[in-house]
Amino acid sequence: MFGWEYPPRHSGGLGVACQGLVRGLLKTGVRVTLVLPRRAGSEEEGAEILTPESGEFSVVTVPSDLQPYDGSASYATRRVEHRGTEMEGQLYGPDLSSAVANFTDASVALTQNLTPDVVHAHDWMTYEAGIRTSDHHGVPFVAHIHATELDRTDFHPNERIFVQERRGFLHAQKIIAVSDYTKRILTEHYGIPAEKIAVVHNAHAKLEGHRPTQIFSQYGRRKPPLVLFVGRLTVQKNPLQFLDVASRVHALRPDVQFVMAGDGPLLPALIERTCAMGLERTVFFAGRVSREEGESLYHSADCFVMPSLSEPFGLVALEAAAHGVPIILSKHSGVSEVIDHCFKVDFWDGEKMADCILTILREEPLAMQLKAEAPRILTRLTWQRQAERVRAIYEDTIRSLSTLRI
Amino acid sequence: MQPLISLYFQVHQPYRLRDLRITDIGKAGTKYFDAELNRTLFRKVAEKCYLPANKLMLSLLQKYSHFSVAYSLSGSFIDQCRDYGEDVLQSFRALAATGKVEFLAETYYHSLSSLKSLPEFCEQVTLHRDTIRDLFGVDPTTFRNTELIYSNELAQVVRLLGFNGILAEGVDALLAGRSPNDPFAPPQFRLPPEKEAMIEAACGEREQAEEIAVLLKNYRLSDDVAFRFSDRTWVGFPLTADRFTDWITEAGGHSINLFMDYETFGEHQWKDTGVFEFLEALPRLWEERGLNAATPSQVIAAWGKRDHGVFDAHAPISWADCERDLSAWLGNRIQEASVAALYALEHDVKERGDAQLLQDWRRLQTSDHFYYMSTKYWSDGDVHKYFSPYDSPYEAYRRFSHALHDLRCRLATDETTPSVDTVSGPSLT
Repeated sequence: MFGWEYPPRHSGGLGVACQGLVRGLLKTGVRVTLVLPRRAGSEEEGAEILTPESGEFSVVTVPSDLQPYDGSASYATRRVEHRGTEMEGQLYGPDLSSAVANFTDASVALTQNLTPDVVHAHDWMTYEAGIRTSDHHGVPFVAHIHATELDRTDFHPNERIFVQERRGFLHAQKIIAVSDYTKRILTEHYGIPAEKIAVVHNAHAKLEGHRPTQIFSQYGRRKPPLVLFVGRLTVQKNPLQFLDVASRVHALRPDVQFVMAGDGPLLPALIERTCAMGLERTVFFAGRVSREEGESLYHSADCFVMPSLSEPFGLVALEAAAHGVPIILSKHSGVSEVIDHCFKVDFWDGEKMADCILTILREEPLAMQLKAEAPRILTRLTWQRQAERVRAIYEDTIRSLSTLRI
Repeated sequence: MQPLISLYFQVHQPYRLRDLRITDIGKAGTKYFDAELNRTLFRKVAEKCYLPANKLMLSLLQKYSHFSVAYSLSGSFIDQCRDYGEDVLQSFRALAATGKVEFLAETYYHSLSSLKSLPEFCEQVTLHRDTIRDLFGVDPTTFRNTELIYSNELAQVVRLLGFNGILAEGVDALLAGRSPNDPFAPPQFRLPPEKEAMIEAACGEREQAEEIAVLLKNYRLSDDVAFRFSDRTWVGFPLTADRFTDWITEAGGHSINLFMDYETFGEHQWKDTGVFEFLEALPRLWEERGLNAATPSQVIAAWGKRDHGVFDAHAPISWADCERDLSAWLGNRIQEASVAALYALEHDVKERGDAQLLQDWRRLQTSDHFYYMSTKYWSDGDVHKYFSPYDSPYEAYRRFSHALHDLRCRLATDETTPSVDTVSGPSLT
């Protein structure tokens, strides 16, 4: 299996989903060799948690400067920042495409003596490695798609990445999409036949050391209402809309506070905008938060908003559901296919999002019901169950490939 | 002895809520209902169901002497006829003119008032009874409650309001093996004196009934038409008038009570399923085989002084879903909260004496608003969700709670709604 990122070194849902899936697969009896581009952090962590001595799980890391969610521009920036530091490896080239090529070469070389039954690759940067490895071993290639270039760029794709994605889809025996929403993007914009795509929604991993839900004093609230945004601060996540929503809510309920947890290229613009709107005492930027910080934000939140322009899945919403936070989702998201007990709003309709927030804050019975009902989905949506479906897809592709050979 | 066949069709349309925003609350003249949507849906159902079905029904009533039907037209439906479809009302008048159609009484606003407020229930029943008499010239003598919600106490209340017949669902657990095809009676008991006095006052000059008969829906045969008619996976598919008549004869008893939504014809079961042809063929077959149709009051009259079995419904039943209980409208927290909040305003609304305010409050009582908030089948992860004009139950609640808040604002101000058109209902366009 070729991946991009793996907890604790991850900046988005992909790493979390990848870990959940790997753990689920191990439980269903699938042996996994995970190939990752980054050395730092992941090796010991992954190994530690997943008992490598059993021999069932191993992490092979390929030194490379690749990071998930890279576009050419951000890669170039980081290249400059990291020049001359210990981050610099030997295998990456001067630009993104040669870095991908180096990752691919190294991955193929590292895995050539393994005997896989199936090759599974997550998102575009690993597809070439997946294609070549599956050719080398003569086994099926399964392409997993967590986010397309179209999602990341508001449908203004980098042509090279788009082509690379499409090449992966075309070569794959089977594509696993994280939602029907993503499946539709693949059929409509990449011209992939629908029957080639299986949808396996992401699941939610039970948190260890889960704190009990906060108990509120019967003598009234201890704190002002808090509305939460969690995600990278990029165009895709539509954080500017969140500010617009905040100002609309603020106009009617000045006591409501807003927290944006996450980091990203739009941060400076967002801070500037916040001040321009006079919301500096209303909107708070938490930056990238650790898991513990995230937990306590979810615990104190009264409402969670995900206004994404295009969200293939949206794991943070499952996280919010797990913490019993009433949820407002963009209709253009995969997670809205699995969470029923929430509000679903068009990403452009800031007025309605504000209205939903205000309704949730005003209507106790509504908030209570959303809190109580939304988490129920998590009992059905477990990584073990989703991994069983992935295993079935493996078996299916292996079977159909061997039938072809006969 | 062949059973009688009693056809009753429910005709109802709710006033669906507009996409109200919090900023609308407290503004002068905020409209709660989506006039455009309500008009569109009314016209759609009128063209697909009401008009063609009434046309067919009229010809059948004229052609077959032993054929008759009963309708219950909710007040909210009648209001919508006045707003969006005089032609539809006219076609019902034409049916009434045959003298072979019985119109039943119900709560004017198709409400859950029987469960929440006795005075409001009595007022709505009276309002509806008067409306039906004005429209069709006949005083209804049989009552059917919203969604066939029924209980022992309700039967007594309705008896004291002067009705000698009431419809209910033939719930298996209460029948305990008995046939639903014979008329039943509720257990006899007295209501608390203050309630009896209240009902007597509401009843006015009408005579209270000594006895009340309960006609039970034969849900198997009714649902064969209403729900299963076009179901290709059903063993009875395709259902022919011939076979259906065989089943009626086999079922036996005093009367086969076929109760269903009128929208079954042309709306729930589309025209191309052949449901109109099916309906058209029935009276001819019945005549050939010596079967007679009868309206609920005729069924009760034909039973005469014979003894009734006791139909004992301590807890309320209804015709909804498999549960046949109230869970479709009062099954979760948001439903309970919105019903409670709405009826909590009763005293203040009535105190105000503002006809427009009263009508808005009453239109919010229509049971559909709470049905749209149901989340009952969601736990199965089922696609079997309730039909609703809104995105989700939460959207239904959002709109409803905004309307309720605006109503509270109106109660808090001193101004009375300018009464331009309080008699004919608000002009919603």
